[in-house]
Amino acid sequence: MGFIEENEKERKSFVRKWAKYVRTHSDKDWSKQQNVIINSALKSANMTREQFFKMKGETNFVKYKDQIL
Amino acid sequence: MKFIDKKTIEIDRELSELDTFTLDFVKILKKYVKYVLVSGYVSILLGRARVSEDVDVIIQKIDFSIFQALYKELKKNNYYCLNAEEDSTIYEYLSDNLAVRFAKRDKTIPNVELKWVKHKFDKLALENTISIKLSKGDLKISHLELQIAFKEEVLKSPKDLDDANHIKEVAKEHLDNKLIRKYKEMLRGFY
Repeated sequence: MGFIEENEKERKSFVRKWAKYVRTHSDKDWSKQQNVIINSALKSANMTREQFFKMKGETNFVKYKDQIL
Repeated sequence: MKFIDKKTIEIDRELSELDTFTLDFVKILKKYVKYVLVSGYVSILLGRARVSEDVDVIIQKIDFSIFQALYKELKKNNYYCLNAEEDSTIYEYLSDNLAVRFAKRDKTIPNVELKWVKHKFDKLALENTISIKLSKGDLKISHLELQIAFKEEVLKSPKDLDDANHIKEVAKEHLDNKLIRKYKEMLRGFY
């Protein structure tokens, strides 16, 4: 099995195990762990509007008085 | 996570910053228009271990005057539109079936990606919602069978397939698999 296939297999297995964990543990328990991922990612997200739209490939319909992207 | 009935799920979760942001936005939005949350945030709300920079929301088509009132209240509550400043321009985007994004002033992430109901599947999502009961309020999400079918049949990226698998596992005793198959067939004919 190649690296990509191995990686995909591991990812799928993690998704399955985590979903089972969510199903079998209290909401407070799993959400506390999930929030570590969510809140830290949002905290470190530091993008300008321009960078965000470029990342999303949506630069063709942004009209602000000061700039047309 | 308690599946109270086919239209209600109670989640006694610790709220994330994404949940708080969404609840705050929806508190304003729902005063003006019928809405439904779709796509990635649905699986995150149900526990999927990933983050999303945006929350996808489908709304009914509304008149310009209603949109103006909504936009005014959003601005009053420190939101701005990332796409444009003028209400008429934002409304024009929506009318052209383009999505527009709103975030808290001085931030770009997280943001809400708002779009008008466009086709029969958006309409189905808007008409068949599930109410998610959280400690600080309720959120309307699309029924899970449609979310799963759309992710497996249309989007198909590894992230979307993982989202679908997550939902299938956490809600497995409550899903109508026949309905998922039916939606998949309908989607195959549509896309």
